[in-house]
Amino acid sequence: MSGALGLEQRYRRVLRLLPGYYRERWEQDMVAAFLDSWHTGDPEDDEWALEFCKPTWPEVASVVGLAARLYLGGQATPRRYFAWGQAVRRAVLTVMLVHAVLGLEVLVRTAWSRRLFGLPAPPANLAVFSPGGIWPTVYHLVNVAWIVIFVTLALGHYRTARILAALAIVPGLVALLQAQLTGIMPAPFGPWAWWVLFNLALVLAMAAFHRDAPPLARLPWLLALPVGYLLVYVPVLALLATGNTSWLPDFPGLCCLLAALACLAHAPRAWSRQAGGSGVWSLTLTLLAAVAGAYRIVTLTGYVHDPHLIKVSLAELVILVAAAALVAPDAARAQAATPAPPQYPGTIAA
Amino acid sequence: MASKPMTGQAFFVLTALAGGPRHGYGIVGEVAELSQGRVQLKIGSLYGVLDRLAAEGLIEADREEAHEGRLRRYYRLTRDGRRALAEEAEVHAAAARAVRASLGLTGLTGPAAAGAAG
Repeated sequence: MSGALGLEQRYRRVLRLLPGYYRERWEQDMVAAFLDSWHTGDPEDDEWALEFCKPTWPEVASVVGLAARLYLGGQATPRRYFAWGQAVRRAVLTVMLVHAVLGLEVLVRTAWSRRLFGLPAPPANLAVFSPGGIWPTVYHLVNVAWIVIFVTLALGHYRTARILAALAIVPGLVALLQAQLTGIMPAPFGPWAWWVLFNLALVLAMAAFHRDAPPLARLPWLLALPVGYLLVYVPVLALLATGNTSWLPDFPGLCCLLAALACLAHAPRAWSRQAGGSGVWSLTLTLLAAVAGAYRIVTLTGYVHDPHLIKVSLAELVILVAAAALVAPDAARAQAATPAPPQYPGTIAA
Repeated sequence: MASKPMTGQAFFVLTALAGGPRHGYGIVGEVAELSQGRVQLKIGSLYGVLDRLAAEGLIEADREEAHEGRLRRYYRLTRDGRRALAEEAEVHAAAARAVRASLGLTGLTGPAAAGAAG
């Protein structure tokens, strides 16, 4: 009898990964199905399996996959998990948009440097030089690939976008490992933080784009690419071209300021919202602010010998936190709603 | 009625239940048999599918039976589930007819068709 408890308890431990409402409905049934899968018909073998065997890795992986789909919920899941799912999907699209805008910037500056379409020669500090070799080529290809991945995702081809994104982050990892192992990376935290937060976490969070995810509003997201470029990178290029670079924050600072601006722009809506709205955008912006803040904090390590840059970075963090605090209560209301399980017709109460 | 195209896994699960109520692991075995081993449902995936089909009203619980000290819950197709499965089967049959017509196999069945294709 204690043997049966052994394997059964191990399965129950794995099933704790699932949301409470889901376990309440399905746990007994899942445990029975798992234990049935070990049944051989030979009492001795069955006894041994129940005593000593453990859930297999493919079984655990299938439960992890199910948990990810449920926590990052689709239309049929309780409100809290649906809010988290929507927030993560929008945050992923926003980070993907940042990648795509950076890719567009590389394309535009390359075209400008080569004076395509009759463009005049760019200022020397804006020209892109291609030294040749495999890494610059891969760098250009990966940058352009993010535009393709963003468009693919926005058009709803989730699986293709996931595969392309998983491939696109590999060259960055290889370059980081090479730089780390050869000792040519003086401040390793920033590049690693970029790869972990904006590459690896992004690809993992793309699990939120599953079959139950509601369809995306394609046109606004697709339009966000040229609009994002015009609103963010054209002013940056103007500052660079006119030599006013002292006004230009570094990339983590730019992320903080953009996230803060988005929070400020959304704050009136978040404050005026009563029970009617979903609060999903507030949750999305809070997530993005957390990512930008984490990136800023980690990259501070590169400025330890420059008190001025430390002060500027801390000021960026304060602005970000203050702006995020305006939308955070709305975000908390959105995801704190008590999850009620969906009503299924004709089910037997667990 | 399902609002999205039916996945292969959902189609096999519904087909497994077309022959009568089955419990969780019984569905896994039946799906493996129906698909000639090509679809090996993991338990996590199965309950993701069952949850979705139950939410769409295509399956429902039939009964619970004690087995070796554990309760097994059996599931059955609902009327909507039967209709959805029939519609999906018709889509598959139409696709198969189109393929057979493209290959010039119209009217041939079984080994004769295989021979003609070869």
